[in-house]
Amino acid sequence: MTARSMTGHLRLRRFIDDSVDGWNRIGRQTKFYGRTLRGIWDALVFYPGEVIRLIAQMGLGAGALAVIGGTIAIVGFLTLSTGALVAVQGYNQFSTVGVEALTGFASAFFNVRLIAPLTAGVGMAATIGAGATAQLGAMRINEEIDALEVIGIRAIAYLASSRVVAGIIVVVPLYCVAVLMSFLAARFGTTYIYGQSTGVYDHYFRTFLNPTDLLWSFLQAVAMAFVIMLVHTFYGFTAHGGPAGVGEAVGRAVRTSLIVAALVTVMISLAVYGQSGNFNLSG
Amino acid sequence: MALDTFVAMFRPPFAWREFILQSWFVARVSIVPTLMLAIPFTVLLVFTFNVLLVEFGAADFSGTGAAIGTVTQIGPIVTVLVVAGAGATAMCADLGARTIRDELDALRVMGINPIQSLVVPRVLAATLVALMLSASVVVVGIAGGFFFSVYFQHVTPGAFVAGLTLITGPADVVVALVKAMLFGLSAGLIACYKGISVGGGPAGVGNAVNETVVFTFIALFVINVLATAVGVQATA
Repeated sequence: MTARSMTGHLRLRRFIDDSVDGWNRIGRQTKFYGRTLRGIWDALVFYPGEVIRLIAQMGLGAGALAVIGGTIAIVGFLTLSTGALVAVQGYNQFSTVGVEALTGFASAFFNVRLIAPLTAGVGMAATIGAGATAQLGAMRINEEIDALEVIGIRAIAYLASSRVVAGIIVVVPLYCVAVLMSFLAARFGTTYIYGQSTGVYDHYFRTFLNPTDLLWSFLQAVAMAFVIMLVHTFYGFTAHGGPAGVGEAVGRAVRTSLIVAALVTVMISLAVYGQSGNFNLSG
Repeated sequence: MALDTFVAMFRPPFAWREFILQSWFVARVSIVPTLMLAIPFTVLLVFTFNVLLVEFGAADFSGTGAAIGTVTQIGPIVTVLVVAGAGATAMCADLGARTIRDELDALRVMGINPIQSLVVPRVLAATLVALMLSASVVVVGIAGGFFFSVYFQHVTPGAFVAGLTLITGPADVVVALVKAMLFGLSAGLIACYKGISVGGGPAGVGNAVNETVVFTFIALFVINVLATAVGVQATA
C-alpha cells in the first residue's frame, strides 16, 4: 500500500517536473531568440567581417558539400525536381479531364504560392540550417563558445545573430534561383517530355503569373529563413553530450525548424491571400 | 555497402532485437513531428486549391484535390522529411559516434559483422516506419483538410467526402506506400553509410549528420519525380 502510493507519488512528481521543464525550455528558447534579435545590431556594427564570411560560406557551402556546388546548387536542384513534379503530376491529372493546356497555369500558380517556398524552406533547413547547428554544436562541445565569452566577445551576437543576418541575406539570391529552376523544370517537362507546344504553355503561364504573388512568396521565403536560422542556432548553441549529442541536436533542429517553417508559410498565406484568395480567373 | 546490406538482409541470423528497438526508436522520435508537419502542409495545399476551385465555382470538389495531393505527394514527402530529419540523423550520429570510438572495429574483431548486426536492422526499421507513418500522414492530412475546408472555407462536408475517391483510387495509395518505403530505405542506407564512413573526430560526426540530411533530401526529391512518373503511367 505504502509502496504503491510511493510510486504514484513519484510518477506525479516526475510528471510535474516534466511539464515544468517543458515550460522552462520554451522560456529559455524565447530568451535566446530575444537576445539573438538584439544582437543583430551588434553583429552588423562590430562583426561585419564575420557576417560577410558567413554569407560567402552559406552561399557556396563548406567541406564536402562545396564539391557538389554548395547551397545554391542544392536548393536549385531540389526545386528543379519539384518543378518537374508539377509537370508530371499536373500534366497527367489535367489530361484526365482534358485540360492539359492548363499545365502552364499550374506552374505559375502552384509553384509560386506553394511548392517553391516550401521546397526552398526544406532545402534551407537541410543545408544552411543543419550546417549552422553542426558548426555551433561542435564549437559548444569543444568549449570554444565558452572561450569566446572569456576573451570578451559577445558569443550570441558573434555566432548566432551573424548567422541569422547572413541567412536572411543569402535567401534572396537563393530563392531567385529556386523559383527560376522550378519554372524551367515545369516548362521543360511539359513541353519536351510530354510534347505540349511551347506557345500554349507560355500563354497560360504568362497569363496567370501574378507579380504580386511572386513578391509575397519572396516574403515567405525570407520569413522562413529567419525562423529556420533562429531555431538552428538555438539548438547548435545548446548542444551537449559529446559528438552524438551534436548529431541529435541537428536532428531535433531540422525537425523543429521544418514544423515552424511550415506553420509560418501557412500563416503568411492565410494572412496574404485571405478568404477571397486574391485570384481572378478572368485575368 | 548498399549491396552488402542487401546480401546481409537475407542471411540469418537476423538481429530481431535490434530491429524492434530501432523501429520503436524511429517511430517514437518521428510520430509527433510527422503529424505536426502533415497538418500545415495539407492546410496550405487545400487552401491554395480551394481558392482555385471557388473561382471555378467547383468548391464541392475540394475533397478531390485534398485526396490527390495528400495521398500522392504530401504523404510520402512529409514522412520522409521527418524520417530523414529525425530518424536518419539520430542513426547517423549514433553510428558515427561508435565509429570514431572504434567500436565497429571491436565488433569485427569479435567476429560480428557490423553491417549485419547494426546496419540491416536500422535500414529495415527506417523502411517499416516510413511505410506506417505515411499511412497516418494521409489520414491526418485528409482529416486536417476536411476540418479546414468545412469550417473555414464553408465547403459542404458531404461533397468533400464524396469527392475524396473521385480521382484517387487504391492504385494511387499503393504507389504512395511504395514511394514511402523506397524513401525510408534510401534514408536508412544513406544515414548508415555516412555514419560508418565518418572520420575526423567529433567535428566529423556533425558534418556527417549534416551531409546525411542534405543527401537524403536530394535523394528523396529525385526518387519522388521518378516514382511519380512511373506511378502515373502505371495507374493511368
